[in-house]
Amino acid sequence: MTHLKEPRENALHIHHLTVNYDQTPVLWDIDCSIPSGNIVGIIGPNGAGKSTLIKTALGLVQPISGKTTFFGKSLEESRRRIAYVPQRESVDWDFPITVKNLVMMGRYGTLGLFRWPKQADHAAVNHYIEAMGLTPYADRQINQLSGGQQQRAFIARALVQEADIYFMDEPFAGVDMGTEKAIMDMLHHLKSHGKTVFVVHHDLNTVETSFDWILMLNLRLIACGPVVEVFNTDTLMMTYGKTYALLDDVLKISQARSQGIKNR
Amino acid sequence: MIDGSLLQFFTDPILRAPTIGCILMCISSGLVGVVVFLKKQSLIGEALSHATYPGVILGAMIAGVFEIDSSNDVLITIFVMLGASFTALIGLWCIHFLQHKVKVPSDSALCFVLAAFFGIGLTLASQMQFAFSSLYRQAQIYLYGQAATMIDIHIWVYSILFVCVTIVISLFYKEIRTIAFDREYARSLGINTRTVDHIIYLLIVIALVIGIRSVGVVLMSAMLIAPAVAARQYTHKLYITFILAALFGGVSGFLGNYFSISIGNALAIHFPTHHFALATGPMIVIVASILCLLSLLFAPERGLVIRYLRIAHFRYHCLQENLLKACWRFPEGKTIPFDEISKYQSLSPTYLRFVLASLAWQGWLLKEPAGYRLSPEGRAWSTRIVRLHRLWEVYLVDYLGMGVERVHRSAEEMEHIITPELERELTLLLNDPKRDPHSQPIPKEFE
Repeated sequence: MTHLKEPRENALHIHHLTVNYDQTPVLWDIDCSIPSGNIVGIIGPNGAGKSTLIKTALGLVQPISGKTTFFGKSLEESRRRIAYVPQRESVDWDFPITVKNLVMMGRYGTLGLFRWPKQADHAAVNHYIEAMGLTPYADRQINQLSGGQQQRAFIARALVQEADIYFMDEPFAGVDMGTEKAIMDMLHHLKSHGKTVFVVHHDLNTVETSFDWILMLNLRLIACGPVVEVFNTDTLMMTYGKTYALLDDVLKISQARSQGIKNR
Repeated sequence: MIDGSLLQFFTDPILRAPTIGCILMCISSGLVGVVVFLKKQSLIGEALSHATYPGVILGAMIAGVFEIDSSNDVLITIFVMLGASFTALIGLWCIHFLQHKVKVPSDSALCFVLAAFFGIGLTLASQMQFAFSSLYRQAQIYLYGQAATMIDIHIWVYSILFVCVTIVISLFYKEIRTIAFDREYARSLGINTRTVDHIIYLLIVIALVIGIRSVGVVLMSAMLIAPAVAARQYTHKLYITFILAALFGGVSGFLGNYFSISIGNALAIHFPTHHFALATGPMIVIVASILCLLSLLFAPERGLVIRYLRIAHFRYHCLQENLLKACWRFPEGKTIPFDEISKYQSLSPTYLRFVLASLAWQGWLLKEPAGYRLSPEGRAWSTRIVRLHRLWEVYLVDYLGMGVERVHRSAEEMEHIITPELERELTLLLNDPKRDPHSQPIPKEFE
């Protein structure tokens, strides 16, 4: 395959990353680079470490070794260029805030301590609420939204950060068709503006139509590359096959050792 | 003589210190309580309030060592407060150590710290009884609280602490909200969650230290939680939750004082031979708990009573729809005798007649000498229900792969709750089917 286009900058470079700590699934020696301007699917079976990978990239989980860089810079230098969409189930939706408040949180990082949102921030919040089709619900408490609307609110919150790299943890899990389409359209919109989006994904049927790049994961990196090149039966077998049971066992023991728990 | 007029509680030289002191303390703990409640850390308040007790005793002991006179309220208050904060912070550190280093589950860690610190406090107290007996009495006040002996200097100390709490919460409002809602997201934004956590813990300790003088270490955690729980019932906005919690706290603080005096006086008049002393601290807690209970029961949106009414209304609505659906099955325009309807219903005939009469009164049914007939509007409504029922059956069979024989029951529940928007989406998804899985025709959308 020849590269006719100019080689693009690497949005994310993961360098020999190993995570082996606490309750999180293990990740073992992940090493890959993803060029910017792509919609990247992260797939793998349950417990393969998909969420752990993006949480580690975001600095929410501490790796044992290795590091991640964004456009060649460290996480701390790139904070403002990265936005995160957590899993919808990870929060208590009964919390007393409205959709507008929720989306405004996306601005708190750039605002910093002791500063209040200004008119421009409110305008941005309204703009992205509109973009995700939530304007009629802007003043509702977040519990009064449907599952799909909650997911759209989460994505609007990340959009308000106006980042260059987006990490979305299962944005398509349990959403209605309208929301699925709205999110997909938004992903393409972001791509057309040169943004990079990482999406933890479950539905193998839609991989080829949804993503440009794919990162296949099962405790270790199975494949990372353009969907057309690496998404095939072989890699799928390796990702979802049972041959990794042994690796899993060994890594469990290593996890126990590193925490000082005696092995039974 | 105290005549019980409300203003007197703020002007009378004896009454004003307990009243204003308690109000300030209750507002502070109400505000801090909202943070604790939303972070789902209510038990931390309970554990730390007990952990202040050894500090109270230590503070008084140190005051004794420095030979401070037991009548010097200012110095003793300061010593006791410093001691209480000190052991509360040690308690907090222990909880963290147990949870994160020793991996003890959080409820066990909290219980352990609560019991251990309180035990140490009681042991120290029994020792102190002999060493510094006059200070011992001062320190014992903090166990169950004693608002009545508060003096003007307490107002000043508590005012300063109250202002601190309010300022800190307003300054860190954004961060507190983000962390309480979604901690990991807050960290991904670059918010220093650990610093904000420490600030919140400091707020808890301040609120506790103000509170134990009037309410006591044993009851103090109620004053953190009750106003917050009550406030949460009325609003979906965080800043209003804060304002309401402060209000409920302040009202409890005032009414606690008011009732302890006025009920005490009333009882003294009716039973002149008995001696009554209604302690202010417990009275404040009782008022706050009653406010909380009333809010849980009667709050306009989330209250239990209104929720039961809504459930009853929904059941009645389902019953109405089922009766209309039953009528729909008969040929159009036919009058249905009462017996025909009642044959398939498990309701008592009297109640059934009542529901039918009310349906007729609302215009869905037409009452005729021989029985009932669907009005055009009633026909439209019942057609929609049948349509929804059959659409849902198609969805269950085609999309969720349920067996044809099982879908009827599930559709029976769903037909009552599907909104027009969901109906539209369902129609679109299923490509507007004409037959349900039992080969029954699906009625058209009614114009």
